[in-house]
Amino acid sequence: MLLEAKRVAKTAIMVSFVAFFVVMMVRAIVGAYMLTPTSTAEDLKGLPLWEIPLVYMWDYAQHGWTCLGFAFTVAGLFAEFIPKDFMTRYMSSGKPISYLVATLIGPLFCVCSCTMVPIFAGVIYAGGGIGPALTFLLVAPANNLLADIVTIQVLGWRIALADIVAAGISAVVIGYTVSRTPWGKRFEAQFKKNQASAASVELVKQPVDERLWSALKFGGYLAKKIVPAFILGLVVVSYFQAFFPENIVKAYLTGPLGVVFAALLAGPLYTPTLIEVVLGKALVDLGMSPGATIAWLMGQPYDIPNAISTSRIVGWKIVITYGILAFAFSVISGLTYEILVGM
Amino acid sequence: MSLSKTMKIEVIGPEPACTRCKSVMENAEKARTRVREKGIEVTVEKLNILSREVVKRYGVLVSPALAVNGVVKVMGRVPSKEEIERLLTSA
Repeated sequence: MLLEAKRVAKTAIMVSFVAFFVVMMVRAIVGAYMLTPTSTAEDLKGLPLWEIPLVYMWDYAQHGWTCLGFAFTVAGLFAEFIPKDFMTRYMSSGKPISYLVATLIGPLFCVCSCTMVPIFAGVIYAGGGIGPALTFLLVAPANNLLADIVTIQVLGWRIALADIVAAGISAVVIGYTVSRTPWGKRFEAQFKKNQASAASVELVKQPVDERLWSALKFGGYLAKKIVPAFILGLVVVSYFQAFFPENIVKAYLTGPLGVVFAALLAGPLYTPTLIEVVLGKALVDLGMSPGATIAWLMGQPYDIPNAISTSRIVGWKIVITYGILAFAFSVISGLTYEILVGM
Repeated sequence: MSLSKTMKIEVIGPEPACTRCKSVMENAEKARTRVREKGIEVTVEKLNILSREVVKRYGVLVSPALAVNGVVKVMGRVPSKEEIERLLTSA
């Protein structure tokens, strides 16, 4: 009896914690508050060097904590409550539905690379095919929940939505295309379809309060891992915003060529997703065009460290194939956005 | 007191172990010492999630995963030592 009451109380506290962030976030959206730093180059330039990052970060901290708090809470909840055995089962089924599951569910719970690569390798080894595995590998970091929430807040829902849709479509097309190449087929042929017997996985169910606690703990773990890098990123971005010459951005990151440059820059550059978004925001403030912004955002999944770890599993030929395709798709998506939505 | 049964825990994650897999290992070790008093002998082993053998046996897993006596009970989260203890005593 006492135990029951304790469980209910614990659940209530945790639910109100989640509700707090949801309400704050909705309030910010409805009230159209800016959740991103509003400092411009002019605000920052006159300051002493050491003060620039502090002013910028203070600016960020005033607005940004709602968005980050919401993002980490939601990421933790999804990671806990998405039915994982359902996802892995369908992704390795070798049927067309595996592409859909990879695209829609993959990004919802995959927030760190140490879960992503094992799933990628697992799908291949279990005979699910290189196509869905690659789709998952490309779409999970590009559209992951944390990145999406921050992109919506920092760059606006239009750019964010276009980025999400474009990244989803290109991941499916790239995955499928690579699976049809002669070397893709040859690679796949090494792995015979083997479904592990159903009896080997029997996940236990936990009471709701323990699941909620585990979700929030994971959100906290993510915050601990990501926030320090994020702060470092803000320091860099603040100097960037203060000193990077506007005319270079205006000259090279606008128009069709700007799209190509943005895709070239963002690809090999290893920037954690959240920092890429903030850096993108700084570039947009300095005059980067929307089309180039899309190309910039889509250049995430083929950075060099990622390519090295995947090449150990699938070999360089496949990595280079999808790298080139991903580059082409960032350019195409950027140009399409510029043509359809305009400046 | 003689030990009445033996059980096997496998912690499945990438190699080298990620932070969360290490927490699972620690919790498993703690649970191991606690159930030992109840007469259950437990072995704790770390498996590489990227090995083809493991995928063949268990299918696609979300790391970190934990298997008891060859059945995956937990994946994609860190179970507490109490939960692992329950898994060992209820089986």
